[in-house]
Amino acid sequence: MQTDQLSLTFAALADPTRRSIMTRLAEGEATVSELAEPFAVSLPAISRHLKVLERAGLIVRIRDAQWRPSRMQADPLDDAVEWMQSRKRTWEARMDRLDAHLSRKENTDE
Amino acid sequence: MSDPTPTTPDQVVLITRFFEASREAVFRAWTDPDELAAWYGPAHMDAPRERIRIDLRVGGRWELTMVQRGGTAEFSIGYDILELVEPELLVMRSDPMPGMDSHEPTVVRVEFHDHGAKTRMTLSDGPYPTGSSHAAAGWTAALDKLATTVAA
Repeated sequence: MQTDQLSLTFAALADPTRRSIMTRLAEGEATVSELAEPFAVSLPAISRHLKVLERAGLIVRIRDAQWRPSRMQADPLDDAVEWMQSRKRTWEARMDRLDAHLSRKENTDE
Repeated sequence: MSDPTPTTPDQVVLITRFFEASREAVFRAWTDPDELAAWYGPAHMDAPRERIRIDLRVGGRWELTMVQRGGTAEFSIGYDILELVEPELLVMRSDPMPGMDSHEPTVVRVEFHDHGAKTRMTLSDGPYPTGSSHAAAGWTAALDKLATTVAA
């Protein structure tokens, strides 16, 4: 995964309204009006948020349906989480080897 | 990025470990090339002693190359040493690593805390790219929550 895609994903999720939209979409498809319901913002404002999420690849909007419902795309999200977790795993594994190295040294020194 | 120290925990990898060794010993394992060669590389790679170069001072360099065991792949990493308090603290800023999708430098901060016969080592590595400086707040929690929801 490219950093640019990660940047888009993270930037898209930086906004609380967009995170709420994603949480709602995790439960299933929804139209713009359904998504706008819990928020005190206009439909065009929600549409703008959806565009950001769509550009980040986090949702798709179904073009041929009358109300163009939005649907969650999990891949970029999983990639973003996976990327941070892989950095953490690398360090954890390295620390295991440091631990083994220090134990070996301790035994050699005694 | 003007401030090299990661201040937002959401963007950094954080690790805490206890080691059964003095902090001098743990600090040495990080800063003595002979010792680094013995442990640093991933399981399938070696960090050959002759390709480790450490100039242990603030403004100095910490460099090594990992070489695939039984293969030809290799991967070099380099850091500028930003802070150094022997045997308590080592702070280093990475060179950009395009091969690892790390185009921006990250800062590795290693603290060595004295617990008698043991050492508590804390490591932070980051910040990892978030696209904007405003992106940090709460995204890890949001991602975890969403990932859990998706997996359910």
